[in-house]
Amino acid sequence: MTDVAIELNGVGKMYPFFSLSNIDLQVPQGQIMGLIGPNGAGKSTTIRILMGLVHQDCGDVQVLGHRMPAEQVAAKWDIGFVSEDMRLYDSMTLGWHMSFVQSIYVRWDAAYAQLLLRRFGLRAEQKIKGVSHGQRVKATLLLALARKPKLLVLDEPTTGLDPVARHEILRELTDVMADEGRSVLFSSHNTQDVEQISDTITFIDRGRIIDSMDKEVYLDRWRRLRLEVPWGVTLPALPGIIGVKQDGRLAVATANAFVPDLANAYESSGARVHSIENMTLEEIFVANVEHSREEVEA
Amino acid sequence: MKESIVGQLILKDLRLQREAILFAMAGGAAGLAIFEHGGVTAMFVGSIWFFVAMAVIACMLPIAAIVNERKKQNLAFVMSLPVSPMQYTTAKLISMVAMFLVPWLAMVAGAVLAIETRGLVPRGLIPLTVIYLLFPFVAFTLIGGAALVGESEGWAIAATVICNTSYSLAYFFLTQVPGLMVDTLKPAPVWSRTVLSIVGGEVAVILLMLALTFFLQSRKRDFI
Repeated sequence: MTDVAIELNGVGKMYPFFSLSNIDLQVPQGQIMGLIGPNGAGKSTTIRILMGLVHQDCGDVQVLGHRMPAEQVAAKWDIGFVSEDMRLYDSMTLGWHMSFVQSIYVRWDAAYAQLLLRRFGLRAEQKIKGVSHGQRVKATLLLALARKPKLLVLDEPTTGLDPVARHEILRELTDVMADEGRSVLFSSHNTQDVEQISDTITFIDRGRIIDSMDKEVYLDRWRRLRLEVPWGVTLPALPGIIGVKQDGRLAVATANAFVPDLANAYESSGARVHSIENMTLEEIFVANVEHSREEVEA
Repeated sequence: MKESIVGQLILKDLRLQREAILFAMAGGAAGLAIFEHGGVTAMFVGSIWFFVAMAVIACMLPIAAIVNERKKQNLAFVMSLPVSPMQYTTAKLISMVAMFLVPWLAMVAGAVLAIETRGLVPRGLIPLTVIYLLFPFVAFTLIGGAALVGESEGWAIAATVICNTSYSLAYFFLTQVPGLMVDTLKPAPVWSRTVLSIVGGEVAVILLMLALTFFLQSRKRDFI
């Protein structure tokens, strides 16, 4: 058994108005990776490729040691997949869906399924057409979790949910992730959700992966420096600073590789460092995307 | 692994479309009941009703089982299971044909039995009845293929419109086949070479449509 749950090397896919290019992604076993990107960034396409539902034009995809899409059946026995655009059959009950999935998966955990029913406040005898969007997502998640997958692939599962439903789902996912052998790929454009549960973060924009690293490293390396720049002083270009926005005597510098020496360098140039602030994942995401787009357009 | 995944998908479709199948059979039975009531008007209305029931199931089944599964985003759920696109296609084609065959065979048998036992029309009409009732089967494979390969409601509707407007054209061509209509007035069915050729041609088109659907599906690179 491989120690890498998901591995994409040089993966590309061309559409008439969108292309996914040179995607390299690695999710080690037992790791929770958050895939963050704006709408239309390529998150769902990437996930469809790694699920074998879309054939890549180039590059290699391995999931749980299986080549995709050729070996998708073998891989999918161990994958629980939930996506925002996945719907159950309206005319049937959740109980019918549970029996259907149970008839396929030998590892189906009936006791756990019942536990999830209670935790999520779902009723097996209720028809899907009568449930809310939040309950539908929970039902889909129940069907994925009770089959005891080694890999959980979640494509924007919390989109459109109210805060309570989101909280319940994230809490359940946090419990699920206590199983250290289980790997998770969680895509979202909601950075709060991803920050809450992920070990590593990958940013994707316009079909390219723009950054990927440990969440704590991200939060540690990114800083915002608020500066006062006296007349006649020019801020130096420093390595690790990806952008400076200046308005009169006030400037804000964004660092993606912060070290205390950066502040010293600004002080040496004549500027005054007013504060060094931590950035939220959302701020890092936005700064990263803007920086990446500027680089591409330059 | 439990039972075959293809088998499970077939059972799922049969369960989901059970009401539609029963509804079609009830429609066909109602048509036959009117037909057997006797009188020219009742026979005319009954046979039209009967044929419409068959034509409806020929277009409704592909729309309910294929188009709606994609349109209502159930396909992502099915494809999250350990199933390949070709297994899905195999299961879908088998379940579709099985779902159509159940009411179709029952309705064809009912129609033949009505002609054989009631004596309301000459028994020579049986071969033409079989030929004509094979048309909805041909239409069903065409609409099903368009829905599966075309992946859109538009293709399925286009195929449905073409098929439904072709029934009367097909009947017109049948009336032009030398000797075919004359034999319908005879007291016993005449399974002439012409009749067998037409039936064989219809069966060949059905098999060709199924094979073509399978072939085109196998060439797809993107499934969702």
